[in-house]
Amino acid sequence: MTGPQLSRRRILSGAGMAGLGLAAPSLLSACGGGGSGSAGNGTGTVNLWIDITGDANQKYFNDSVVGAFEKAYPKITMKTTYYKGDDLRRVVQTALQARSGPDIVRGPSATQTLTWSKAHVLTDLTPYAKKWGWDSKLADWALKAFTTNGKLYALPMRVDTMMLYYNKTLFEAKGWKQPTNRSELEALAAESHGQGIVPFGSSNVDWTAAGEWLMTVFWNHFSGPDALYQALTGKIQFTDPVFVDAVALLKSYFDKGWVSGGTDKYFSVPSAEIGANFGNGKVATIPQGEWFMSNVGQYFGAKAKAKNDNDWDWMPIPALRDEVKYPLYEMGIGGSFAINAAGKNQDAAANFLNWYYGDRSAALQRMADVPATYNIPITFTDSEIPTKTDPRAARVLTELNKAVSSGNYGYVTWTWWPPKSDTFVYQGLEQVLTNKLTPAAYCKQLADTFTEERKQGTIPQMMPRGASQ
Amino acid sequence: MTSMPAQAPLRANPARTRARLRRGLVGWAFLAPLLILNVLVVLGPSLATVYYSFTDWSGIGPATFTGFANYTHAFTDPAVREALLHNAIWFVLFLTVPMVFGLLGAHLLNQVRRFQMLFRALFFIPYITASVVNAAVWKMLMSPDSGIGHLLGTDHAWLGDPSTSLYSVNFVVDWHWWGFLAVIFFAAMQGVDAQLYDAAKVDGANRWQQFKSVTLPGIRPTMVFIVLMTIIWSLKAFDYIYIMTHGGPAHSSDVVSTLMYDEAFNQYSAGYAAALGLSMTVVTGVVLAVYQYLRRRGWEE
Repeated sequence: MTGPQLSRRRILSGAGMAGLGLAAPSLLSACGGGGSGSAGNGTGTVNLWIDITGDANQKYFNDSVVGAFEKAYPKITMKTTYYKGDDLRRVVQTALQARSGPDIVRGPSATQTLTWSKAHVLTDLTPYAKKWGWDSKLADWALKAFTTNGKLYALPMRVDTMMLYYNKTLFEAKGWKQPTNRSELEALAAESHGQGIVPFGSSNVDWTAAGEWLMTVFWNHFSGPDALYQALTGKIQFTDPVFVDAVALLKSYFDKGWVSGGTDKYFSVPSAEIGANFGNGKVATIPQGEWFMSNVGQYFGAKAKAKNDNDWDWMPIPALRDEVKYPLYEMGIGGSFAINAAGKNQDAAANFLNWYYGDRSAALQRMADVPATYNIPITFTDSEIPTKTDPRAARVLTELNKAVSSGNYGYVTWTWWPPKSDTFVYQGLEQVLTNKLTPAAYCKQLADTFTEERKQGTIPQMMPRGASQ
Repeated sequence: MTSMPAQAPLRANPARTRARLRRGLVGWAFLAPLLILNVLVVLGPSLATVYYSFTDWSGIGPATFTGFANYTHAFTDPAVREALLHNAIWFVLFLTVPMVFGLLGAHLLNQVRRFQMLFRALFFIPYITASVVNAAVWKMLMSPDSGIGHLLGTDHAWLGDPSTSLYSVNFVVDWHWWGFLAVIFFAAMQGVDAQLYDAAKVDGANRWQQFKSVTLPGIRPTMVFIVLMTIIWSLKAFDYIYIMTHGGPAHSSDVVSTLMYDEAFNQYSAGYAAALGLSMTVVTGVVLAVYQYLRRRGWEE
């Protein structure tokens, strides 16, 4: 299916909307659906478990999200418990199985949340969505990813894509240009490696699933989104050479020492060390998601802990094959919000969700305040991006809007691959990198697992190919 | 002087019976909270684990009965074989290295008269430090770009190289464990009769012979107990491996417990993980049975 079915509404220029919010807050809060409380009828305490780490980030969430909501809804009290990202899914899943846990469920990717939905531990949000018109506020593709059998079971938390962060100061000092294709990228990698600078920084020490970020990049920018779409919809297999060659290409970059200085270092150097080396010019680029934007600043600048005079920026991932368009942005959802079917305060929890997604002024302000972290897929136009937004963060928003309009988007593994297949993407890659599996054997195992899971129906509604109307 | 009627002991004394009953009830009342707690948090989950080990449960939602499928799969699963091999390597290293260093440390400590308490405290510190702290610190110390090795001129990735990852984590566990054993053995050595050493000296025994023929037999019960506990701890090794390598790279440092965790929470195969857990419980039970058998045969004496 290749029909242009995307909503014409723009997804995420979120950060930008803050300007509008500041200019006309009363109008926006009125636009925010039930946000002002008129539609809500919940009271009491709402429990939320969430994986926000760091004092500053937690303070922001307490003040600008929880505090702001409680001010808008004085009869509802939010009780927030913070967990580490790795722990949260396990803890939440255990609690859900025991018919316990938080009222608002911060879930993982779309496919894993779909698994929870099939276990009937999440409330059907469709009545709330109809009541408050969520479909007019959130991007159509993002809502469909969380809709199965006509029922909405979660709301998308953050729009994800992959980018190539680079040390801008280093690039200027070396006279390096931004690569747009494979030959330019490999020439840059060879040159920087020859000078003792690691071309691509990456590590799976602190996040074992980091390997899927790399596979997402290589499958989208080498194999291409059309091939991925066909594979994910069952028209071709992951054993197709176009996927195998992408894995082989990634492995060759590791073997040349271009990624983190080699496979063993990718498995053993902590990400903070990679970041520090990125800041001081020992690492030229880092392929990472847009979420890294909220952390990368700590490695740069005289005022930061890094104590250097360097600066960073980002560029689109170069096309790794002539047939693949440039620029291209893989799209996906980083996490979800749902309501616990066993929760005692579902209406109040729904009030929070409606406020979080429906109060555009507050949502856009958050996007402007914290780059990338609060990029919920609400609908907006480029002109609504606030001027106070960091230009690099604003560029992400405008580029993603363009990608959706033009159809130049791909698919991230953590949203569109079913759970076991997704796990195999990064666990199997470790075996490829350590020569336990060949790229062909890796793709064969992935194809087998994917086919099995596809039969079980654990794949979300795909974001279709083609430009929006 | 009064004499008790001959038939008195044979007749039930209602008052005494009531008192005994009351004492029994009071005893059970005191035990009840712990028993209820144990039933809830140990017996309940244990029975649930047995049940789920015969199902295809994903960890959430309903489960379908699959008979012995999980167990037959475990026998043919190469990942289980590899993890068991790692458990065996782990056991050998965890049993020998800290034991040797523990005995050596205790023996040396036994010779020291000054600063003995200081050395005992120093030996003990790694053991009382939280495993997550030890693991995190050693993870940094083993970094190829900024760790100890880097300072000494090698950039080997101890945790990132599949051929050294398991041994590197084991080294850290041995490091944190041997001091504890040294202190335990030292305490046991204090109980060895000093006259035996004097007698050995009279017989012309050197230090090694005294250690072999007097010290080791004198602390044998402690050693046997430590061996038993080491075997059990080897089978349930998890925390350091999980924190330092997550069982990687590419399962190179996976043991059965980390594999179980992966199956339950990453692969959505909680039923299979339950079967693995139960199998390991059986192995531990066999070890305990062998220990009891040897104990009855006087091995500990």
